[in-house]
Amino acid sequence: MEGRGHPFLPSASKRHQQSSQMKRSIPFEIFRYAAILAAIAVTLVPILWMVSMAFKPIGEWSATGAELTWWPKHPTLANFQFVFGESANDLIVALDHTALKPILSSLLSAVFGTVIAMSAGTAAAYGLSRFGSGQNLPLALIQLRLFPPMAVMIPVMIMWSFLNFNDSWWGLALIYGIVTLPFAFWLMKTFFDDMPREIEEAALVEGCSRLRVFTRITLPMMRAPLASAALFVFILNWSDYLIALLLTTREWVTIPVYMASLSSSMTGQLYGAKAALGLIAAVPPVIMGIAIQRHLVRGLTFGALKQ
Amino acid sequence: MSTALATPALRDEGARLGFRLTLPAQILVLFISAFPLLMQLYISVTDWSPLSGLGWWNAWEMWNSFANYTDLAADGRFWSALKRTVIVMVVCVPAEFLLGLALATLFADDFPGKRIFYSILLMPMMVVPAVAGYMFFMLFQSGGPVNDILSAIMGGPVTIAWLSDPTLALIAVMIADIWQWTPLMFLILLAGLVGVPQDQIKAATLLGANPWQRFTSIVLPKMKTIIIIALAIRVIENFKIFDTLYIMTGGGPGVATETISVYIYKVTTQDLIWGYVAAIALAILVVLSIVAVFAMKCMARARQVPA
Repeated sequence: MEGRGHPFLPSASKRHQQSSQMKRSIPFEIFRYAAILAAIAVTLVPILWMVSMAFKPIGEWSATGAELTWWPKHPTLANFQFVFGESANDLIVALDHTALKPILSSLLSAVFGTVIAMSAGTAAAYGLSRFGSGQNLPLALIQLRLFPPMAVMIPVMIMWSFLNFNDSWWGLALIYGIVTLPFAFWLMKTFFDDMPREIEEAALVEGCSRLRVFTRITLPMMRAPLASAALFVFILNWSDYLIALLLTTREWVTIPVYMASLSSSMTGQLYGAKAALGLIAAVPPVIMGIAIQRHLVRGLTFGALKQ
Repeated sequence: MSTALATPALRDEGARLGFRLTLPAQILVLFISAFPLLMQLYISVTDWSPLSGLGWWNAWEMWNSFANYTDLAADGRFWSALKRTVIVMVVCVPAEFLLGLALATLFADDFPGKRIFYSILLMPMMVVPAVAGYMFFMLFQSGGPVNDILSAIMGGPVTIAWLSDPTLALIAVMIADIWQWTPLMFLILLAGLVGVPQDQIKAATLLGANPWQRFTSIVLPKMKTIIIIALAIRVIENFKIFDTLYIMTGGGPGVATETISVYIYKVTTQDLIWGYVAAIALAILVVLSIVAVFAMKCMARARQVPA
């Protein structure tokens, strides 16, 4: 079994090979698999229900007067077509605007929010890690993370309307950049702290300026950690609902805000359409999250734990 | 830094660069904390509202001599929202902790299928919270899958209106929170569990300690800081609970699931008395700042322990 461990997975096998040789009883193994499979079932049911709902025609959305359909009997793409504004025969309502703009809004605000957080965060992390500048930042940024967004939104809403940032993707990008700055900063700080300094020092001896060392040597070497941190920050920005709910009203609503508004007086809840949209919103972060599994612990604990 | 590089010129260059690198982050932090805080403090002693026709800087014309703070002390809806937030926290965080710890224990050594199970179990925390809210909104419909499963177990039709019953709605939102955030506990606790030195466990085994004794007298003490971090993170995040809950119930039926964030959101967007909201927000910020200092101390202590 040794050597088969997941490269990213915390595993006892590499450091303590004895442990995997400890005899486990068969009843224990049965119990283990039963418990894990039960947990997997609970984990997957809500997700699969939404996937199933996204492909169901309107007649199968609810169980009124019929058996509940767990899996679509007549799978259809009508829900996806509907949210993108194509007429679907059995949905009589038309949308006053399609999901295209909200998807664009979510993308633009999350991407540029990530750019802001990562630029400011990486620079500051390097400044603190190498030169001891900005000693106040670690605590200030953790405090920033601690406060419920709801408790600081009044001034933000006033400032944003003063700056004419309301209902715009750039206004969202700016606040996202600030809200996720703590994660960008802490992640990059621990990466810089862990990085061996010999190469940087060698370049300094060669006569490179410190700024040149940072931009030409350190940053290229840190490409992989930078990418992981950026994905982590992107997921957080993409996941926001509350801030977009307060700062966007019509033109630049993001996917979750748009999704919540999708219901009509004629059909009530548009289950299938919402599920299709939910699926579109849920897929990118899940894939990215699995891609950066090995850094999740570090990111979520502000570098306190490095896995 | 080696002595050859500790020349005054290089040190000065480093200090200058460090200052410039940390500047953007400092500006962003200042931009989102200092000025908004003063603004919030100012507005909180007035009756100002965005509908009042006055610019916020003229709010002094509506000075109400701290009436917002005395109102807050007597605001039953605020206190019951706070109580509800604490109830949700007291139920959810320990449940997530215990489930996460149990799962982590099952994953402590290697077994076939470990990596795929691990990836699946982490998925809920990567689902956009608003989408997770919508998933559970669908699951708990009276004609939805939860009742369908219950019908199968009970052998008769079950049509519980989960989200329209005050108690059941609160239970439903707590289930959603536990579903989404148990994986985070699992992830962090597993990282901690793997770091527990195996030789001590082996020694204890040789001395005749049973698994339960090994767990309580070696594993748990070794994981103390990690457990504190995991709990601190969930307490902080759980206190902010909004997205899933608001999508599922909107704080209803009535105010049955109204937590602090939902309450502030409603006062902000429906009642529009922003002077009062500023007072509530400041009260919360003060309390949380005290918690922040405490949490920071825990984090700082944990970081000295190599994970």
